[in-house]
Amino acid sequence: MKEEAVQFGTPGSLVGIVTSPTLGDERKTGVVLLNPGIVHRVGPGRIYVKIARALAAQGFSVLRFDFSGIGDSLVRLDNRPFEESSVDEACAAMTFLQGTRGIKSFILVGGCSGAVASLETTWVDSRSRAAILINFPARADEAQTSYRHDRHYYWKHALLSLTSWRKLLTGQSNYQKISEALTQGFKHKFIDGKIASGSDQRLRAMMRELVDQGVHLTFICSKGDPLLKDLREAGGGDLRWLCAHGKVACDVIPSDHTFSSLYDQERLVDAILKRANIAALSSEQQADAGGISSTRVEVVLQQGQSVR
Amino acid sequence: MPLKPRTRPVPFYFGSADRRLFGCFHEPPDKGGPASAVLICQPVGHEYINSHRALRQLALGLTEAGFPVLRFDYFGCGDSLGDADQGSITRWIEDISTAVSELRTRSGMFRVSVVGLRLGATLAAFAGSLCEDFDTLVLWEPIVKGKDYLDELIALDNEMLRFRPKPKRLKNVHAHIEILGFPLSRMLQAQLEELDLTKIEGRPARRVLVMRTAPMDRQNGLKAHLIETRTQVEDRELRAPEIWLPTQDGSLLVPAQVLQSLVSWVRASS
Repeated sequence: MKEEAVQFGTPGSLVGIVTSPTLGDERKTGVVLLNPGIVHRVGPGRIYVKIARALAAQGFSVLRFDFSGIGDSLVRLDNRPFEESSVDEACAAMTFLQGTRGIKSFILVGGCSGAVASLETTWVDSRSRAAILINFPARADEAQTSYRHDRHYYWKHALLSLTSWRKLLTGQSNYQKISEALTQGFKHKFIDGKIASGSDQRLRAMMRELVDQGVHLTFICSKGDPLLKDLREAGGGDLRWLCAHGKVACDVIPSDHTFSSLYDQERLVDAILKRANIAALSSEQQADAGGISSTRVEVVLQQGQSVR
Repeated sequence: MPLKPRTRPVPFYFGSADRRLFGCFHEPPDKGGPASAVLICQPVGHEYINSHRALRQLALGLTEAGFPVLRFDYFGCGDSLGDADQGSITRWIEDISTAVSELRTRSGMFRVSVVGLRLGATLAAFAGSLCEDFDTLVLWEPIVKGKDYLDELIALDNEMLRFRPKPKRLKNVHAHIEILGFPLSRMLQAQLEELDLTKIEGRPARRVLVMRTAPMDRQNGLKAHLIETRTQVEDRELRAPEIWLPTQDGSLLVPAQVLQSLVSWVRASS
């Protein structure tokens, strides 16, 4: 295994580390790791380093890099929103590996907002043959996320905590926050949660479309994370059907959002290795048979759907 | 607002093949600045992750003030070679010496100032006292007693356990304890228990600034001891967030006032 610091993008403003397998062991599929939130390319608990090294040990060339404005990468000056620039930069990362290593098909891996960038990039760039989406935030509305986290905390932790009950009974709790979390919880459970929003419908359409094109989609979820419930609701019957028929994988690991114990990190690395190997094998077989379409954008446009 | 660098930092690896360290070199945009270069010594473990953004901004601030700057990761930390449980105090102090040599080569300057945060500050002080050729040294909230630091880490890990499912432990649990997803080897634990900045023997630098952003009692006896080593010591206290700690919403904090104060001091002292 070899690690090399690289700069790429326009004009070389993105900083990353390429972890390469031993000479002669290289596979035809590369992996790109996308920042989990604003944590730099090392990842929480240094998990991205572990993932990259484990994948390289199995023959993958891996690039983990910082989106512009994160870690060591330069800030963009063009005011492009992150939702767009992250996709451009993930494409630039693939182009870099393609240009320097001759790799033509990729697996994108990302946690949290990196999972969103992985899916969106896979949607527009046919070089991405698989996406491994760790704790995918299917419903990323900030205010609602805050309520959900509060609600999750009250149900899972505060309810069982003597200290929290003591605070509640002695007037030290934030009653307004508790009340808002409960109200939003009931509203979500009985009204909003049952309705598929526009973004839910888009997610379902994307999953169906990508699966039809032979793309491997894997959701890896922390059991202790409120995002798992969001994903189930947002994915709805489509996600259940796709999982039941083996078209989409959904691995649930008993952990918190950032896999903050070493045991959980090992389970996460194992799950990624397993899914990456399956996806790479399939992608390499398809490539050998000449079955990959030239660009996904063309395919989608032919069907009359807008990409963005 | 984050600083926009006028020159592009250069990421690279350095050191021997079996101990390759990751570094990021920031060159000043204008020549003719101060005749010294600055090394930034980061903390370790979760503190490294949480403070990375602020220390990068510090590097940009120092570069704008005319200093060539090197940030680097210790062995087993960040992007450097090695696993997290392979780190040790002695190895990390050697890494600082390696980084100083690299900085001198890249910048062409012999005079070196060092800014260290938390354990990075403590390691830098020990490295400085061994070579006795650091020009100035900033100890930003240094770990004075390693035993207190260990207790803090364990208390924080227990506190964080309240908010997450109780994790299973790895089978080789005897080899290390676990702090917020980072293994802390028994050897490192023993070294930390012995670590005491008030026992430092040589002079860590010509001039030292002790920057405190937390209550004073943690730095008990440090200033007096440093003066005994013939060091010119100054201390400053600025109320600012403890950027090395995890935040509730996962944000990474940049204490602009502290960074400005550090840059001003290094510039005025060099």
